[in-house]
Amino acid sequence: MDLIQTLLDGLMVGGLYATVAIGITLVFGIMGILNFAHGQMLMLGAYTAFFVVTAGLGFWPALLIAMIAMGALGLLLERIVFRFTLTDHMQGLTASLGLIMVIENLAAAAFTPDHRTFEPPLPGSFQLGPLTLSSQRMLVLALVVVLVVACYLFLQKTRIGKAIRAMGQNRTGAALVGIQTSQVTAVVFVLGSAMAGAAGVLYGSLFAITPYMAAAPLMKGFILTVLGGLGSVPGAVLAGFLLGVAESLGSRYLSASFRDGYGFILMIIALLYFPRGLFGARGKVRV
Amino acid sequence: MSAVVEIQAPPPAPRAATSWRHRVSTVIPWAGWLCLAVLLVIPAAGSSRYIVYLGTLIALQAALATSLNIVMGYAGQFAMSHAAFYGFGAYASALLVTSVGLNFWVAVPLAMLGAGMVAALVGYPALRYTGGVHLALITFAFGELARLVAANWHSLTGGPMGMRVMYAPAPLFGFGFSSAKGLYWLAVGMLLVCLLVTVVIQRSRFGRGLVAVREDETLASFLGINVVGYKVAAYVISSMLAAMIGCAYAPIMNFISPDLLSAHETISLIGVLILGGIGTVAGPILGTIVFFGIPEMLRVARVYRLVVLGVVIVVVVLFMPKGLAGVARERLARWRRSLE
Repeated sequence: MDLIQTLLDGLMVGGLYATVAIGITLVFGIMGILNFAHGQMLMLGAYTAFFVVTAGLGFWPALLIAMIAMGALGLLLERIVFRFTLTDHMQGLTASLGLIMVIENLAAAAFTPDHRTFEPPLPGSFQLGPLTLSSQRMLVLALVVVLVVACYLFLQKTRIGKAIRAMGQNRTGAALVGIQTSQVTAVVFVLGSAMAGAAGVLYGSLFAITPYMAAAPLMKGFILTVLGGLGSVPGAVLAGFLLGVAESLGSRYLSASFRDGYGFILMIIALLYFPRGLFGARGKVRV
Repeated sequence: MSAVVEIQAPPPAPRAATSWRHRVSTVIPWAGWLCLAVLLVIPAAGSSRYIVYLGTLIALQAALATSLNIVMGYAGQFAMSHAAFYGFGAYASALLVTSVGLNFWVAVPLAMLGAGMVAALVGYPALRYTGGVHLALITFAFGELARLVAANWHSLTGGPMGMRVMYAPAPLFGFGFSSAKGLYWLAVGMLLVCLLVTVVIQRSRFGRGLVAVREDETLASFLGINVVGYKVAAYVISSMLAAMIGCAYAPIMNFISPDLLSAHETISLIGVLILGGIGTVAGPILGTIVFFGIPEMLRVARVYRLVVLGVVIVVVVLFMPKGLAGVARERLARWRRSLE
């Protein structure tokens, strides 16, 4: 029973990681922009939720507003910064580092570095047979699954999803068959940013919100993009759940204080022995 | 065929090449070194404690930027772990001096050795692949992990509150480091070592190989360059220098905390490099003076200074990707060509 409890816990945390990783994977895999400011969008999403919930509007509107607000911010950033850095990985990466400093320090000035929490929609816990489950954690797990499935269906079934996947395979080829690459790029960035906003709300409903909360989820998101195979959405999701379970089992049965190290070790092993990750389609040249 | 022959025989240099303007153009880099020497002497010659303190900080930052330039500027690899190795050096040397009781000058090479081994372990798996994205991801994660370790290993590092260290490096060749000015010269010494390493690398076969790797890894491998080895070597050298500078940090600040290892330190260093001009000798120093010197004198609140820094990074990346020194070098080269 202890084992099952630990596994469920791991799945919940892993789902959160996966939500972060999907956003990074979308933006990186399709546009080739490694957006380090993704974590800051997550932080802003969490703050949006905090202010909406404290204003008395409740959790569900907060989730929606945070996703829309971060999508809008993503659109803004794509239009004024990232559309100019599409040709160069490193340029986009550096620009995103500048954005981190701007967003994080403005947030620290505006929101103060105090820890904030908001009332989760489902407080308390419930009994399922011999298991005691936190209601909020189960809700988060369910929401993560909904988000992941929605994202997957969007990419697989809609016309624009098809265009996005085509661009992920070959940007020039996609442009040649009449895909408006500039518009699709914007859509991808908005989608990735909205995922960051959603992940922020889910994080905020479980953990404390501070202007500096971005680094840890971002680190996990990066580990997952490597583990899952750079640019693969299903890979990122699967790796997310695996990492969550590995961390949970590791901290339950090995050492809890080394919790954040397990993912890193997994990443090193993956780079050494499975460099393409779980579902990496993008072959990496070795010279 | 005749065209090839013509190319092989360049026209003789015109007499104007030896004009005073040509001489000026060759002197400019040396004038840069002279300016640096004057700048370095000013704090030591004056009597203001504030200027000495400011000079020490700028020298440390410039040394860090110069050492990061080796892996980012010359090898073209995006390492996000520089602050982690800086902090590693600070913690390692402080612990070796205070807990083990070693001489400071013994602790420095030991800390550098440790940093080099860790860098090789982290760098090798990531640098086996082209593109540089793996290294950015893995070093970011490593830096964050190192910060977490420093913050959580209470018995060794004193946890998130940091630890207070009180010692001065032992005198070296009769030169004492216990005064503020002595520590200033320690920081300047670190900067000069980093500059020396950079210049030696730049002029060596190794440095030219690194530039080839930066420009095109596949082509470089065709030329017989051990691409992975070169990249790992650049990363290891750069990280070892960061650890060396970290060793100076502990006696200068008398205080080490895990904040030293945070990704923000690396980000601002990258900003300094981009602004100053990546892959140039003067760039890191120019960038440091602009980034840290001027706002310090203007006394802007720290938070807004960092915001301005962020905006500058974005603007420079978009509009002037070669940085100040890069633009200056290009102008100088164009001027020289126009003289010939």
